[in-house]
Amino acid sequence: MAIIESAGITDVGRKRKVNEDSLFLDDKMGLYIVADGMGGHRGGEFASKIVVDTIPEYMSQKNDSIPNSEALHNYPESISEESKKLLEAITCANEKVYRNSKEKQELSGMGSTVSAICFTDDTFIAGNVGDSHIYLVHDSGIELLSVIHNVITEQTAIDPERAKRLGKRFKHMLTRAVGVEASVNADISESQFFKNDQLILCSDGLSDKVSSEEILDVAMRESPGKACQTLVNMANDRGGDDNVTVIVLKIISVETAKSGVVSKLLQFFKYIGFLPKKILN
Amino acid sequence: MPILTLKFKNKAIKEYRLEHGSNMTIGRRSTNDIVIENLAVSGLHAKVDSMDGGFLLTDLQSKNGTFVNEKLVTSHWLKEGETVMIGKHTVTFSYAKDELRPQEADDNATDATMVMDTTSYRDMVAKSSPEQAAPAPKTPSQVSQAPQPQPQPPSQGGNAIGVLTYLAGGTGDIELTNKIVKLGKNKANDIVISGFMVGQTAAAISNRPNGYHIGYVGGMAKPKVNGETVKESVLLKEFDVIEIGSTKFQFMYQA
Repeated sequence: MAIIESAGITDVGRKRKVNEDSLFLDDKMGLYIVADGMGGHRGGEFASKIVVDTIPEYMSQKNDSIPNSEALHNYPESISEESKKLLEAITCANEKVYRNSKEKQELSGMGSTVSAICFTDDTFIAGNVGDSHIYLVHDSGIELLSVIHNVITEQTAIDPERAKRLGKRFKHMLTRAVGVEASVNADISESQFFKNDQLILCSDGLSDKVSSEEILDVAMRESPGKACQTLVNMANDRGGDDNVTVIVLKIISVETAKSGVVSKLLQFFKYIGFLPKKILN
Repeated sequence: MPILTLKFKNKAIKEYRLEHGSNMTIGRRSTNDIVIENLAVSGLHAKVDSMDGGFLLTDLQSKNGTFVNEKLVTSHWLKEGETVMIGKHTVTFSYAKDELRPQEADDNATDATMVMDTTSYRDMVAKSSPEQAAPAPKTPSQVSQAPQPQPQPPSQGGNAIGVLTYLAGGTGDIELTNKIVKLGKNKANDIVISGFMVGQTAAAISNRPNGYHIGYVGGMAKPKVNGETVKESVLLKEFDVIEIGSTKFQFMYQA
């Protein structure tokens, strides 16, 4: 199990009147979410709020209380149960945003990105739709864990030269978002964690203004709380054109039963699901 | 409210008043607000929406394209006096006298995040590629005669599938299709590795956007990559040799 220290800030920035970003963080649940809403009037604000409300609600449900519906459980076998649950939660948020945008005319066309981190006992899962970044800082290096769903990134993968000549506006043109279509396809990965690993989730208000090297530099020097403020200030000092949201979390220790035959046996039984969790905790 | 003037060969045909808060469609079909009866014009060709105080022109995936100032556009914020070319017709956009116009800053509205219709965006990107958009003006027939090759969509996550090939301790190949593959002595692992020193779960390989990473989980036998012990985790390169206890694999990407 990971012991986590985390912090998060959302800021309207310097140019916009409304903050359409939302965030959620809970060390107990091991769940962290950044959502960047879009769409006219107040739709974007509403969409991102639905995302950060729906996912924790879904994730905190007991597995046996979840209805066994086809739409929710239609995932490939190649991912873990916890990963499936996160995808289901994103699907659930998608349905809610989509339904609201169809029912209420003033919310029509709204949508949101989502980038979420969810911890299991021995791994963390990173899932995302849209262009909100998730970075992993490990061993003094920084790595992008989210898959950026915008036109520029997808075209760069096909033909980097031609993608360079595409206009700037393509950067803000998403190819996927939550709540825009009846179904959504999130990208997901699952990794082990190590002591001192850090994860940084942010909206494009930060990633457009501050490079990954700079984010790494701040994360290495400062505590999560201070790093969040420094990063938001950097984005605002460079124009603050968009809402800025950032979550920084750090794994301060990893609890494992290292010695003793009994604890090893318990770990083993817990692993194969032999004992109910109650006995162990 | 602004006025759209439909012209053919510089002769005004008709004027349309564009109300704030409404939209107008342009096309060949009679159901459009602005009807242009010409075969070079698509049934539903383009539209103009009143949005955030400005007016946004959008090409509705028309066959022969919509041009503003002789440049092919897919969406464009209309400014005073601009001329939109559709087939051989033009539509001129102008504000009424003393009318409140959107401020310069509103041009930044195109910076706002938008979602592309996934089925149409590749087409749009193809249309906006410089080979097509730069030489202007074009006659409609030239545009339609130059279909762009459709780019293949990137595969999920953009990664090729990794494969582990047994060099010792087993035979055959294992495709790494799972997002996380656990290796160890326990039968619950994806890949079971025997050996006294091998941990219940000794190592895990996770598939991330930048490639496959192998990490040490537990047990006395730490995984080695190319002879070097993995303390935490490392990114696997093609042809790396992975060793756990007496079992050996080579990592490769599927051809």
